[in-house]
Amino acid sequence: MKLDPEERWRLIDRVARETVEYGAERSTIGSVLAELTVKPLTGIPFAFAVLYGFWGFFDAFAGFFTDGFFVPLFDDHWLPWIQEAFPLKGSWLYYVLVGDPEAVNSFEALGMLTSGFFVAIGVVLPAIVAFYLVITILEDSGYMPRLAVLVDTVLHKIGLHGFAVVPMILSLGCNVPGVASTRTLETKKQRFMIMILLSVFIPCGAQLGVMLSLIPEYFGYIMIYLVTGFFVFGWVLNKLLPGRSPEIITDVPPLRTPTIANVSRKLWVKVKGFFTNAIPFVLLGVGLVNLLYLGGVISWIANSLEPLFTGWFGIPKETVAPLIAGFLRKDLAVAQLSAIDMSGFQLITSVVIISIYFPCIATFSMIIKEGRKSGGVIRVLGGGLLTLVTVVFLWGGLLHLIGILLGVT
Amino acid sequence: MAILLMGHPNVGKSAVFNRLTGANITESNYPGTTVDFTEGYTYIDGKEYKVIDVPGTFSTDPKDEAEKVALDILAEHEDPIVLVVIDSTKIERGLYLAFEIMERGYKVMIALNMWDDAEKHDLSIDVDQLEEILGVPVVPTVAISGKGISTLVENVPTASRVDIERLREKITSL
Amino acid sequence: MDYGEKGVIKEIDRDLKDQLLGRGIREGKTIRMDTKQPINGPVVITIDRSTTSLGFNLAKDIFVEVENGDTSNGPS
Repeated sequence: MKLDPEERWRLIDRVARETVEYGAERSTIGSVLAELTVKPLTGIPFAFAVLYGFWGFFDAFAGFFTDGFFVPLFDDHWLPWIQEAFPLKGSWLYYVLVGDPEAVNSFEALGMLTSGFFVAIGVVLPAIVAFYLVITILEDSGYMPRLAVLVDTVLHKIGLHGFAVVPMILSLGCNVPGVASTRTLETKKQRFMIMILLSVFIPCGAQLGVMLSLIPEYFGYIMIYLVTGFFVFGWVLNKLLPGRSPEIITDVPPLRTPTIANVSRKLWVKVKGFFTNAIPFVLLGVGLVNLLYLGGVISWIANSLEPLFTGWFGIPKETVAPLIAGFLRKDLAVAQLSAIDMSGFQLITSVVIISIYFPCIATFSMIIKEGRKSGGVIRVLGGGLLTLVTVVFLWGGLLHLIGILLGVT
Repeated sequence: MAILLMGHPNVGKSAVFNRLTGANITESNYPGTTVDFTEGYTYIDGKEYKVIDVPGTFSTDPKDEAEKVALDILAEHEDPIVLVVIDSTKIERGLYLAFEIMERGYKVMIALNMWDDAEKHDLSIDVDQLEEILGVPVVPTVAISGKGISTLVENVPTASRVDIERLREKITSL
Repeated sequence: MDYGEKGVIKEIDRDLKDQLLGRGIREGKTIRMDTKQPINGPVVITIDRSTTSLGFNLAKDIFVEVENGDTSNGPS
């Protein structure tokens, strides 16, 4: 038998009156802070402080481990040792696994065991650990919904609501859980929009890590261009797509102190996942590109795409190889790009194109999985690819145009 | 036999799940951490129970994709035990969902989770009386520390269906 | 209704009511407005011990009698 809602509440109120006793609500440090973080006057500066703290921590942590520990370890010990110790110098196997026998740093050697290991463990691992540590603390403290409330006004302008900030933040770690978390958004339109926008415009933690440690001087420009793209295309998609953009309704949980046990457990799961899922892909990516080089496939593709690359995007044709590796891992692709000889502006352009041209394979499969629940795979993929091609041509081409106008190309 | 963990988003269902099954799934402090279900197993009195961590839902009338998943799971299982996990500091609205599930004729038991929060906020709940009125097991728990979980487990076999007509009379005559 | 103020919910628009019932937001309950964001941003309200954030256009469909006796709708 079913009750109607009014009656259900009447009964529950009655039960509560009999069994629940409310004491006086007390202000604690936690509840005061909880309120301050959602009030615009105090909350917005607080949000900026959190963001700044995020970067500061990330930079210090990743910098300490990468530059202070892994770079000397790989360049001074591992690289010279493996260059000597690996047999068959001059063979194709040596080229694929070790790379350039004369290279003086692990980064430019371009072999699976040299650059592959260095990028995966030396650069990306510290970045991943730093990122997930911060994201986990944001998750466990209950700060995420507060951030959602604060950014709701801005995201509303592009047809999303504040809670879309959760997939965005998770995507800064990895796009895969970011895409999965779109399920908490109410309408198909919102889910489609955020899924496409974040897989196109939000670089994952691994890619951010590589960018910060290899091309820190261009990091700001690249991010500004990507974030602007997020909002520009968000605005366009919102205008073009049919469907509702409902208002936010969300619970704002109390702030809690994250427990060390839970934070370390989650961190451990992520790091384990990195070793089993990500590292093999990085190595595979390096190996694949090397094999394609040897087979002459890369130079063939590079030559046939040259007009597009140099004419439209203004980047050298050699960037084809990293673009291929980018299907597997974007972090690896960025690392390979920074080893190519080109101007600063070309590097910015090519990193932007790497970020937006296609989601990595893991994200792509997650979009297929979630697409089924958001209006059908065909519609999501079709719409997604259409958006993607438009974005790559317009946004990539626009950057070239900006370069021409600024006189830097 | 299946035990479905249901409740509002962010009341600690995943934490209860981890405690019951010894699993390691993600717990966070924001609504919507779990968007897909997770299954695990637990043994009570030598009997195997399948435990399912269901995504959070506010009512049995779904508002988003995660809530739809929750209700599909409820519909799929034949005669499950529904363990309604309630945030003790928000007991009224938790009971609202519990009532909806009881009205659908499921076997129900209730975990009053985040009991430590309720104590901190000077909120006292008469558990025995609540149990007596509703006629289903009600157990205070603090899932992140494991408090109350063993009592919860002991009470699983006593989860029961509620005669809503009788419940209504009983409450009205209080 | 201004922030910091308390009031009693008099009426909730029909469509919205179904959405809010499960969250414990219902007629006759005392509500406290915690904050409202600028430029028609969402409001944050507390009922019993639970805090919820609502979009501006939703909140304006909740009619509240403020404690000093005036009736006003949502975030005026």
